[in-house]
Amino acid sequence: MSILPFPSFLDDVKEKGFKKAVFEGIDESVERLTAGMNIQDIREALRGEDPSRRPNPRLQPHADGFWLHMRPAYFNRDVTGLYPTFRLGWLSTYFVFFETITGILLMLWYTPSPEIAYGNMLNILNNVPLGQLTRDMHRLGAEFMVAVVALHMMRTWITASYKKPRQFTWFTGLLLLVITGFLSFSGYLLPWDQLSLWAVTIGASMAEATPVIGEQVNLLMRGAPELGANGLLRFYLLHVLLLPALLFAFTGVHYYKVIIHGHSLPPQKENIGEDSAKRVPLDKRVYFIPDVLTNELMWIGITTFIITVLCIWFYHAPLENHADPQITPLGTTAPWYFLWIQGALKLGDKFIWGLVFPGVALGGLALMPYLDVTVSRRYAHRRVMLSIAMLLISFATITSYMGLAKFAVKTSAETEIVHHLTFEPAHSHVGIGRTIPYSQMIPGAYITTQFHDEDGKSEVTIVQEVNDETFLSGEFDQLLAELSAQHLDPAQMPNRFRVVPESEAPVLYHVMEEFGHEIEEFPNELPNAWGALIITDNQDGLKRLDFVVSWDSVVIEGGDVQLDDDGNPVFVYEADITPVVDDSGNPVLDENGEPVVETVLVTDEEGNPVPVRRIYSDHLFIHRDSAYFD
Amino acid sequence: MDRLIIQSIEGRILAGISMFVAIMILIGWVAINEEARMAAFREQHLGRSIERGAELFAANCTSCHGTDGLGAGGRAPGLKNPHLFGFDPLAEPNGIIAAADRAINSLNEEYDELNTELMDAETPPSAERTDEIIARLDEISADLAEQNETRDEAVAQRETILVSLQTAVDRGLYPQWQDVPAEDLTQFTQTNGNRLAQVGWTGSLDGYIITTLIHGRPGSGNVWPNSEGMAAWSQTAGGPLRQDQIEDITAYIMNWDKGSEWTIEDFFAVEQYGKPLADGSIPQGPPKETVGTDVDAILERWETDGLVGDPANGESLYNGATYGCASCHSGGSVAPATEGTWTRISENILILPEFVDYTGEEYLVESIVDPAVYDYPDDAYAGGAMPVNFGDRLDHQELLDIVEYLKSQE
Repeated sequence: MSILPFPSFLDDVKEKGFKKAVFEGIDESVERLTAGMNIQDIREALRGEDPSRRPNPRLQPHADGFWLHMRPAYFNRDVTGLYPTFRLGWLSTYFVFFETITGILLMLWYTPSPEIAYGNMLNILNNVPLGQLTRDMHRLGAEFMVAVVALHMMRTWITASYKKPRQFTWFTGLLLLVITGFLSFSGYLLPWDQLSLWAVTIGASMAEATPVIGEQVNLLMRGAPELGANGLLRFYLLHVLLLPALLFAFTGVHYYKVIIHGHSLPPQKENIGEDSAKRVPLDKRVYFIPDVLTNELMWIGITTFIITVLCIWFYHAPLENHADPQITPLGTTAPWYFLWIQGALKLGDKFIWGLVFPGVALGGLALMPYLDVTVSRRYAHRRVMLSIAMLLISFATITSYMGLAKFAVKTSAETEIVHHLTFEPAHSHVGIGRTIPYSQMIPGAYITTQFHDEDGKSEVTIVQEVNDETFLSGEFDQLLAELSAQHLDPAQMPNRFRVVPESEAPVLYHVMEEFGHEIEEFPNELPNAWGALIITDNQDGLKRLDFVVSWDSVVIEGGDVQLDDDGNPVFVYEADITPVVDDSGNPVLDENGEPVVETVLVTDEEGNPVPVRRIYSDHLFIHRDSAYFD
Repeated sequence: MDRLIIQSIEGRILAGISMFVAIMILIGWVAINEEARMAAFREQHLGRSIERGAELFAANCTSCHGTDGLGAGGRAPGLKNPHLFGFDPLAEPNGIIAAADRAINSLNEEYDELNTELMDAETPPSAERTDEIIARLDEISADLAEQNETRDEAVAQRETILVSLQTAVDRGLYPQWQDVPAEDLTQFTQTNGNRLAQVGWTGSLDGYIITTLIHGRPGSGNVWPNSEGMAAWSQTAGGPLRQDQIEDITAYIMNWDKGSEWTIEDFFAVEQYGKPLADGSIPQGPPKETVGTDVDAILERWETDGLVGDPANGESLYNGATYGCASCHSGGSVAPATEGTWTRISENILILPEFVDYTGEEYLVESIVDPAVYDYPDDAYAGGAMPVNFGDRLDHQELLDIVEYLKSQE
């Protein structure tokens, strides 16, 4: 006999024999762990059989267990398929966990300090096994999560699931949307590369539009007037602590409300004004155990598989150069999900479009269930609301497009062209000048004039003529002076242009052709222009590419070229400016005390004025191994 | 059950398990290839680092180090420079010379030992042993001749290389090697054989470059005529660049290394070489002969050599910074005043009983080279303040000049 007040395992063995005692012990443990289902029950559930005992043991885990206490024991068959939910709510939850797991893995390798954050990124990429994959997954998951949560909101709006009694569910959902956006945004800064710094700088400057408190909030967020060590630490803490805590809390509230009111049925499945989600007829019940559970586990597998495949072959998280507050990249934008605000800002006042408009939009959405008190959820009865939804989507799409750098941002033509040729990898794009394979960077000076087919002249003839012309006009000397100012080794200076060797360097040929086309797109800004590419050897395995644009200077005011009555651009001419002196050699002053000057236009042999020739260049270095182009 | 996409529970279980297995296989496959991917990434990143370094170098460094990195205009040394990267054209002859020296030394020792044994009068070797020793001595002599020949060849080869490097020597490589005594040339060419040895840096080259970039070269403006000295470039040291930019520039400079591909011609391309630090690696003439502390010997030496003192030079030595006599002996508050020294000696000192057979000159010399013998009688000064090492620092002419100067202080 056992000394304990209940029979011991040994007593069981004595009584029933070893095998039976062990089996019953295990069975009992399983039943306790599952809060109600023994081995036989599980077996039946997985085989798709009906439960063999009553009361139904498959309901027990929902009633007695912690893990399933918030999951309903059964669903209405009408909401378990793709329509009407498109599984967006489930996917949002999936991404919450997916992002948490990948995020915790990344935290192991990250320190929120500007001194080493970027080095941590490089370490994750080049020294942590599966580091790149984890980072790609976390980043892609974040983008998906924002999109999925936004789509989830649109779906709820369109099927009118926000209506009574689900107003508060909708409200918490909207909170979750905002939290998701800020979670993604705060994560943007952490790699501390140029993309991070400038996307967040732009985002933060939008917040500055808030009256009275804008500046203070901004200061609180960044910890200093400029983003630096304090700002990075604060964004990090937001990203890993405050926002996730809020997200989990409100996810709980949101899901609790969903279950309390039941999943709303497709509008056409219930009578107008009726909410029958909580009353599921017996023949419509789909039980959580085993059907929904196996279904969800399967979807976890499928979704994770899809993301894995995408991250292995199709998507890599961007990492630009180290953050540098001194260098503002051309064409910086906020993250895509904030582009609609950035675009709206271009419509006018910073305060109205940067703050009032998003505030009204979000506030209106939050209040919508309380304002829209019509009872019908049928699409036919909600034409006005659906139109408003469509209008908002269209408007957001348009303003998002307007948020892109190419919309209504004035940059001088030559800067734009050269930037397009040279920009560093960003958002999966790269300047086409960097796509030239290393082996095709044949040292020499090449000029876009080669591609101007004049009267069927051969390219060789054209380049010969260009050489003569540019020498005579002094344009070639101007080119050398510009290259010298850019610290090009004097020993490497070109002495003439040469024809692009098309057979040896087809990509170089293509890039030069493209360079020429781009210059031709600006006949007014860049009249009589040519572009040149000077390729030089710098080190073993390192080449230098100088992109140069040379053109006749025109009068530009407010970013636009001034045109004369015939529609031709107004040139800026070379002029000799000499101060006027009186007989005794003293400068003559006008009534304002400024010296009077005499301006004489310089003319060529035929007596025509000579436009001022301008030149612009930028250069880049390309290393054999840097692999911008595979 | 028509709403769950995959209808049967078996189908869902199968699909789910297949997906998890597929994920495991994919991740396993990625994991197998991780080493190669990470190595490729490192290479790619180094490439981009070099690109950024090139840009920074062009914008910040070329005005002193040259657009081609070969040094420019008396402002800074060339960095595309075999000397910096440790290519030593004298390594081969120096190696041969060092090996020959070792061999010659051990042969000489053996020769001496055998010779002692042979000449030992008390226990002369047996006749058999004598023959053996003589045979061995002959062998050693032959070996010595051979080693000396090898050594001479290597010395000649080294000389040829050094002469052929004259263009580079004019630009600062192996500075003033012609003035180095022949026996010191191996040592000299080794300590000046590459930049790191020359400046006594025991770490790696990229560490040396990073350190120099971070802190700059305080005082380099003094050795480069047209430079104000290299500034600190790192934000750590108050300069403009971040650490990653410092590393980019280092990667760019390190990319000039040709490893084993450097040639003598590369020495001629360099416009100017780094200057050695004043650590004695540059020849400074023969060491001077100091006087020691034996007063009688000093006076006797002056007598036999017929040395004549120069009080003017003595005065400048006395007041100069090298020995700094005047810094204590002026005014008479810390040490006896310079003025009236000679008068005080004859009137106050030599009359004392312990100096009965001293001359004034003898007393002065003793006070300078061996001041501990006697404290000035007046209690006004703390004893033991006079440095005791002047005997190891002054040569005879200097001491005599100073003594002559003091004799003029009446």
